[in-house]
Amino acid sequence: MADLKIQGLAKSYRDVRVLEGIDLHIASGEFFTLLGPSGCGKTTLLRTIAGFQHQDRGEIIVKGERIDNKPAHKRDIGMVFQDYAIFPHLTVAENVAFGLKARSLPKAAMDQRVDESLKMVRLEGYHARYPAEMSGGQQQRIGLARAMAIRPTLLLMDEPLSNLDAKLRIELREDIRDIQRRLGITTIYVTHDQEEALAVSDRICVMNKGNVEQIGTPFEIYRKPVRRFAAGFVGTMNFLPARAENGRLMVGSQSFPFAGLQAERAIEIAFRPENVILANRPLDEEVLHLRAEVRKVTFLGREAHYMLTTEAGEIVAQVADPSSDFIDMEGKPVDICLPLAKIVLFDRNGDLVMTGAAR
Amino acid sequence: MSRRFRFDLWTFVLIGAWTILLILLVWPLSSIVRASLIDNETGALSLVHYMEIFTTRVYQRAIGNTLIAGFGGMMGALVLGVALAFVTTRFHIYGRALIQTLAVIALVSPPFIGAYAWIVLFGASGVVRKGLDSIGVSIPPIYGVAGVIMVFSLKFFPHVFLITSGALAAINRSVEEAAESLGVPPAKRLFKITFPLILPAISASALLTFVLSIADFGTPRIIGRDFNVLATEAFNLFGGEVGGNPGMASALSMVLIFLSMTVVFAQRWVLRRNVYHSNMIKKPERQHVTGLRSAGLHLLAYGIVLIGALPAFIVVIFSFRRTSGPVFQPGVSLQSYEKVIATVSEPIWNTLTFSSVAVVAIVITGTLVGYLISRRPGVVTGALDALLMVPYIVPGIVMGIAFITRFNDPPLALTGTGLIIILVVYIRRLPYSARSVAAALKQVGPNLEDAAVSLGYAPGKAFMKVTVPLILPGIMAGALMSFVTAMNELSSSLVLYVGSTITMPVRIYLSVMDGEYGTASALSTILLSMTAVAVYAAFHLSGRKESALL
Repeated sequence: MADLKIQGLAKSYRDVRVLEGIDLHIASGEFFTLLGPSGCGKTTLLRTIAGFQHQDRGEIIVKGERIDNKPAHKRDIGMVFQDYAIFPHLTVAENVAFGLKARSLPKAAMDQRVDESLKMVRLEGYHARYPAEMSGGQQQRIGLARAMAIRPTLLLMDEPLSNLDAKLRIELREDIRDIQRRLGITTIYVTHDQEEALAVSDRICVMNKGNVEQIGTPFEIYRKPVRRFAAGFVGTMNFLPARAENGRLMVGSQSFPFAGLQAERAIEIAFRPENVILANRPLDEEVLHLRAEVRKVTFLGREAHYMLTTEAGEIVAQVADPSSDFIDMEGKPVDICLPLAKIVLFDRNGDLVMTGAAR
Repeated sequence: MSRRFRFDLWTFVLIGAWTILLILLVWPLSSIVRASLIDNETGALSLVHYMEIFTTRVYQRAIGNTLIAGFGGMMGALVLGVALAFVTTRFHIYGRALIQTLAVIALVSPPFIGAYAWIVLFGASGVVRKGLDSIGVSIPPIYGVAGVIMVFSLKFFPHVFLITSGALAAINRSVEEAAESLGVPPAKRLFKITFPLILPAISASALLTFVLSIADFGTPRIIGRDFNVLATEAFNLFGGEVGGNPGMASALSMVLIFLSMTVVFAQRWVLRRNVYHSNMIKKPERQHVTGLRSAGLHLLAYGIVLIGALPAFIVVIFSFRRTSGPVFQPGVSLQSYEKVIATVSEPIWNTLTFSSVAVVAIVITGTLVGYLISRRPGVVTGALDALLMVPYIVPGIVMGIAFITRFNDPPLALTGTGLIIILVVYIRRLPYSARSVAAALKQVGPNLEDAAVSLGYAPGKAFMKVTVPLILPGIMAGALMSFVTAMNELSSSLVLYVGSTITMPVRIYLSVMDGEYGTASALSTILLSMTAVAVYAAFHLSGRKESALL
């Protein structure tokens, strides 16, 4: 199989820098996701790897060989597009065989590969159909089969699910993950949907404004963000302004001892809604106590969301399996606890100061 | 490398396209501008022709009549077209395919055939008029302003119908339902919601019918009698038996171009903030109606299309009538056809050769220029695209005059050749072809080519294997429609023809003017049949999309 190295890749459009010195190393067989808001450079990076655009600086190395001087059609890279890009004048089977023809496979081998690829995406029996008769989900399955059929050294996917409805999205992303695992093709997946990224990836690269913010496993990205941007972009995160002062953490008018916080400076404290504990009950871990008022309760069945106003700012708390009396709390005061092990501190630049767990 | 090669090829196309437009469009039209500003006697630069327009009654009347014909034709076509579009998209009407076919027949039949067929029915010696006269009912002959406006309305309503039906079918039904739930009664809703939403389509078709009406030469000439318009006046001045007055003809042509341009800008102004993007959620439904209302709606729809297609039927029927000179006799006969074959078969061959050559040239350049416009945007290409708008607003008669003044002398002495007739059709129709290719390419989207490249095809091969097959039906349909327009071109050919390069429309026009109605009918029927074959083929290629005709 093939690993991919990207070194110092940079690109500008006129005077706008869309990629600023990207370095990545993607292991063979890895499912690697580029995650970020629109305009962060993720699609430009993908299309540069594919060869549809050219970098100003930097190298792209596959299996130890530079490919960035090769034209796109010689890079042996499979691509799946957001708008499917299925050839409407060809049947399903002809679409899948399209790349195989360019490789002059013998007829029998080609037919076998087409059958196998269609079976893999659960479209067996659709050989003679035309794409226009098929749904969006089916069309993207053809796109996947077409890209996989050539057994590319790299598979690139550019927001393949964003044109599909929610249910199909979940179904197809599981299929993509299963097929990728089975064939072991090194895959780079672009999405702006953080939940999708968490669900399918081996590793995620969070990007913003042409820069890499953080690279890590889904768990690391969610639980151990190293940049404020990554923390805020993936999942819901509460941020409250705070101050560090001589080993103490000041939030609002409260002050807590916090080892390791020496320099005096303004910082931000970040924590997930599911880590906010409502009601002031004794806990066997160290916590921050804050007083809050419940502004609004949103009941979602499995859980309820509380909009809370604390003296330091607004936060969201999530309560699993809410009981009936929790629901009538709008307008009432409440005590909240934040376990120190679950909070993260960022400085003014958005860099990690320290985590509560590392205290 | 392939990048380098493409750069060279498309640069070459760009230079070629500019050369063609400069020689065949800018240069000839500049002769009109120049001639309109030169005093015939002194040869000096002067505004004497323009002054004459504002002091001579006959020219003022021509301008007034042109506006009357333009607005009259436009209003008539709008009323008929919008009514038909509304009835067929919003109510369940039996035989919608038939209605569409009849509308298409009305659309593609040569414009002057309408005028001539109405004369056959309601002219001085018209069949219907005479019949009514024999039972004591006397109606005036159809000649004059009313006839011209009627013919324009019935000739051009299919354009309005096809453009607005598309827009009406694309209105989100929820918007209309929302209006209704807010308490707006249905009739009011039509004017408050529905029509404003399709205003872009209505104004586009209004513009088109106005430009077509003021540019039309055959209709006012045949049915207008002393109803002079700018197009007929310019033609008379130019080709007048006693010397003619090219300067004056040019000045009137400039006025005609100016009127078209004004309307184009007026339409832009109307639409300056009326671009609606709607998320299609619910398609409008066809309402089922019964009883009298249903009968009335059917009568309206079929009435419009049958009267519109009537001239085509009349011409076919009368081509099989026995004639004696200009007078039709009772009984069926092939004598008109025999006469055509024996004496005037040359126009048929001329028409076929000229149109074929023009269309081949149009398709090749149109495809290349269309690709240039949509895939290689830039300042120079943008200017080219803007220049391509010009033929849309220059009437055929003006183009003919421009060509004959410019290409009369060496180095390009083309007067009297078939080539000059071909070149006028070529330059007039090229923008349509280029625009439709550009639009088709926008539909294909560059991702399809990228997909082919990622699967291992070099860019040139990817274009040939993916893009070309996808736009080919569109190109072919466009080519056939260009062929239809080329075959039916009257006004520019009338200025440019000589005895040996006479075409069918010119021959038909001359026959009508000479009162040889039998010959005119037979030739019209042949022209109509050739048109029908081309249109049918175009439909077949474009998957029965009427939009291919526009």
